[in-house]
Amino acid sequence: MGRLLLVEDDDDTVEDVLGDLRRRGHEVERAASGPEGQEAAFRGGWHAIILDRLLPGCDGLAVLQSLRQAGDRTPALLLSALSDVDERIRGLRAGGDDYLTKPFALGELAARIEALLRRPVEAKEAILRVGTLELDLVAGTGRRASRDLELLPRELKLLDYLMRRPGQVVTRAMLFEEVWNYRFVPKSNLIDVHVGRLRRKLEAAGEPPLIHSVRGLGFALISDD
Amino acid sequence: MIRLVSTTAFRWSAAVALWSAALSLILFAFIFWQTSALERAENDELVETQLAYIAADPARTVARIDDWLGGGGHDDRFAGYFGPEGAPLAGNITVLPRGLARNGKVQELRAPIAVAGGEPRDDLLCAALQHADGHVVVVAISREDIDRAKAVTVRALGMALIPMTILSIAGGIVLSAHARRKLVATEGAVTAVMRGNLSQRLPVGSRGDEFDRLVANVNTMLDRIEVLVDEVRSVGDAIAHDLRTPLTRLRARLERSRDEASTVEELQTAIDRGLDWLDQCLSLITAILRIGEIEHGRRRAAFGEVDLARSLVEVAEIYDPLAEEKGIVIERVIEPGLPPVTGDRELLFEAIANLVDNAVKFTPEGGQIRLSLEGRGNGLALSVEDTGVGIVPAERDRIFQRFYRAEEARHSVGSGLGLSLVAAVVTLHDFTIAVEDVPPTGCRFSIVCPASQLPPPAARRS
Repeated sequence: MGRLLLVEDDDDTVEDVLGDLRRRGHEVERAASGPEGQEAAFRGGWHAIILDRLLPGCDGLAVLQSLRQAGDRTPALLLSALSDVDERIRGLRAGGDDYLTKPFALGELAARIEALLRRPVEAKEAILRVGTLELDLVAGTGRRASRDLELLPRELKLLDYLMRRPGQVVTRAMLFEEVWNYRFVPKSNLIDVHVGRLRRKLEAAGEPPLIHSVRGLGFALISDD
Repeated sequence: MIRLVSTTAFRWSAAVALWSAALSLILFAFIFWQTSALERAENDELVETQLAYIAADPARTVARIDDWLGGGGHDDRFAGYFGPEGAPLAGNITVLPRGLARNGKVQELRAPIAVAGGEPRDDLLCAALQHADGHVVVVAISREDIDRAKAVTVRALGMALIPMTILSIAGGIVLSAHARRKLVATEGAVTAVMRGNLSQRLPVGSRGDEFDRLVANVNTMLDRIEVLVDEVRSVGDAIAHDLRTPLTRLRARLERSRDEASTVEELQTAIDRGLDWLDQCLSLITAILRIGEIEHGRRRAAFGEVDLARSLVEVAEIYDPLAEEKGIVIERVIEPGLPPVTGDRELLFEAIANLVDNAVKFTPEGGQIRLSLEGRGNGLALSVEDTGVGIVPAERDRIFQRFYRAEEARHSVGSGLGLSLVAAVVTLHDFTIAVEDVPPTGCRFSIVCPASQLPPPAARRS
């Protein structure tokens, strides 16, 4: 679990976010203003920084920019009440690694922090393996134990993304952003339908489940070993 | 009266009165100057010719002087004939005026001139000539005529100015009263609008002058404002309604679970349900904000080249599994080699996705959805066609309005904002959208991208 810095001025948000992240085993310190956050960020030693856009004293972006200029690459997630897409683009350009618009589900924040803390698995010899599941990225084929899987291109991409993050919760929004490359939350239960279909292919021969649903949040691919 | 004086029409007419008075003054001054100069020249010429005539023949000088004087019949004519020593020999000028140049030219003398049978005159125009033998002839004429003519002219000017000014002011009052009558009616209507009666319209005159045209424009503006305000009002009502439903449920559920739940699991289930309803509210609010953001054109920053064919395939692919569950086939008909358009990739994807989402929702099991993209003229046409229930003509105009939901769709899931988002995206891109029925059943949404929205060929990537 990680050592996190939360730079946020709103006490109510802090209470919930701090409580939730600590419950999940993170060690979190809070800074209540821009200058305080900047000071803490420059002290270093963080695994990730959660930064509010609008802070008393200065803009969260300014803190991030000065940190990046100083050569500090600590992963940073920006929180903002500004949903404007241009704002998001500005946030990411300033060196943010992820951007979350208020209001957000605590689980969504936790999942995104988790994603920042863990490096995706590198594929050795272009083959990903999780338990009995094997994905050949070059040939574009998948196998469960000795059974060949018939996968559509998008399912390959979905599996690729999940297998690089074994045991990690990925939210629907994260999947839509990373696998489909679109940033809005789709209507209907589109993502669930896609994951459901992939899951059926993985368990077609009565194998134990690999992809698990996380209630109200998303999915996690957990090794069957 | 004060209100009248403060009207523009009155001020204008007062200004016009002043202006025309000034103009007449200048005109009069010019005429005055010209006529008095002319009269003076005529008099001078008369005096000088007469003098030359009288002095031409010394033997007849006396007789000619008598002729000139007409036996005293002309009381404005004067003459004198003087000996070399200045003794008066004939005429009614009794003393040779001093300082009179004897060159035959008319001069105005300051000093009074003594004349027979009266007071010395100081209003004479004189000329004199001296014969070789020293005799002097003087001819003079009274300036009185000229002065009288001048006085008459000035009086005429004064008399003309008064009625002219009165007429101008009266005209101003009549005009401004007329304009006021028009304005009073307009003012009354405007006051009613200001008080909140948006259905009030300004009275339009029948003359079609610029004022009437202005009033007509204001009325058109009021029509538009009324529609917008009504829309805002009904959108507000719709938002309130759509938010109240899940919030009411949430409230009831929270209250009941607090009283009735006996285990942690029961409480958690209740809270999860509550979170769903809250998410429903939040996504509604997010959708409203996003449409506002798109409608205000703030997203043009993300514009780039978009391959609509690719967007269409991606949408089809993402909806395939959902459609298959309902036994619906999504057919793609894409003309190859079409150029890209200028736009926002994500918004266009979302707009197409919304159309397809609706199509999947409203098409019965076993139906068909057809996505097509083709060149039309120099532009592109993208359409989403389904074999669903279709849209009654009366509803077609309203489906793009915020929160509009076709009657039979009232109870289905959705915020009622999908199509207004599509409309906002289409407008942002300067595309057009139309909806039509497809016999025997179903409807077709067509987004047309005009040639002007295609990037210039040179900028296109090959």
